[in-house]
Amino acid sequence: MLGIQILLIFAAAVLGGYIFGNLHTQKGRAWKRIILILFIVAMVGAILFPNQTTRVAHLVGVGRGADLLLYGLAVAFVFFVFNVYVKFQQQRNQMYALARKVAIAEAEVRYK
Amino acid sequence: MKRDFYTTTAIIIPVYNEGKVIKGVVNNVLKEFKYVICVNDGSRDNSAEEILQTKARLVNHPINMGQGAALQTGIEYARMLPDVDSFVTFDADGQHQISDVKHMLEVLRDKKVNIVLGSRFLGKVENISPLKKQVLKLATAFSNTTSGLKLTDTHNGLRVFDRHTAERMQITMPDMAHASEILTLIKRNKLTYVEAPVTIAYTDYSKAKGQSIFNAVNIVFDLMLKGKK
Repeated sequence: MLGIQILLIFAAAVLGGYIFGNLHTQKGRAWKRIILILFIVAMVGAILFPNQTTRVAHLVGVGRGADLLLYGLAVAFVFFVFNVYVKFQQQRNQMYALARKVAIAEAEVRYK
Repeated sequence: MKRDFYTTTAIIIPVYNEGKVIKGVVNNVLKEFKYVICVNDGSRDNSAEEILQTKARLVNHPINMGQGAALQTGIEYARMLPDVDSFVTFDADGQHQISDVKHMLEVLRDKKVNIVLGSRFLGKVENISPLKKQVLKLATAFSNTTSGLKLTDTHNGLRVFDRHTAERMQITMPDMAHASEILTLIKRNKLTYVEAPVTIAYTDYSKAKGQSIFNAVNIVFDLMLKGKK
């Protein structure tokens, strides 16, 4: 198996664990930040030494650096979407709690 | 006639776009029970006005939040009524029978359990399609697996429970997944439960309103994502 295949399957597994396990803890947040920092470092590296991305790509069995970036982008995008989804659910729950309070307060006045 | 349960029971009815039938359903329930709590879940029709014309209590969601959320609101409101010691969840479309509710209240009192769950497969089902029946059986198998309970019908809207249970009710699944969530709650709080046969009348109206069987996919997904808070 190619290096990139192992990496991408690993990413899919992490995402699965993320969805169905419970990673929304302090530890989970810390990991997100570590990954973000690594991402920034990689970004600056790729800007300063664009040719090096191809060398890294060859290391994991990918033909071109551009292809490697595309794979990375796809993985980052899926994580981003899921993160937004979770945040959205949290906000929805908060909104519902608020709406419930309003509804009950209103009914209490009406049937005093 | 001695009106057992008249002032000690709260009937909680989640209402969403039921303007055509809600008044009839509510007035029917009001004959036997004093506290009828209608949670209007942001209906776009005249449901709220219809409810205000009855002696039922209207709790009005400012926005649509789903049936599970409406049940939770109704339960939280009913908990504040000091006379009430029994809580009933009841569908707005008229498919449940008052006689079943009274029987379940007797079971709750006589068997001293925390919650009595209606089961259409112990009772009589009128006009159910064979496909819907199979999907319900599958849903039951799924919910029994996730909750660890042994039930014949896990997605029945008719439930009767005591104050102990009502105090512990915390439905977070806004949509139809709340049925499975309630079962998990029973298991986690070690509540005692029993099923009672109920008759569901699948009228053309309730069939048109009922959820699509595809919603089962949504429910399974939502339940798996649960706990991501």
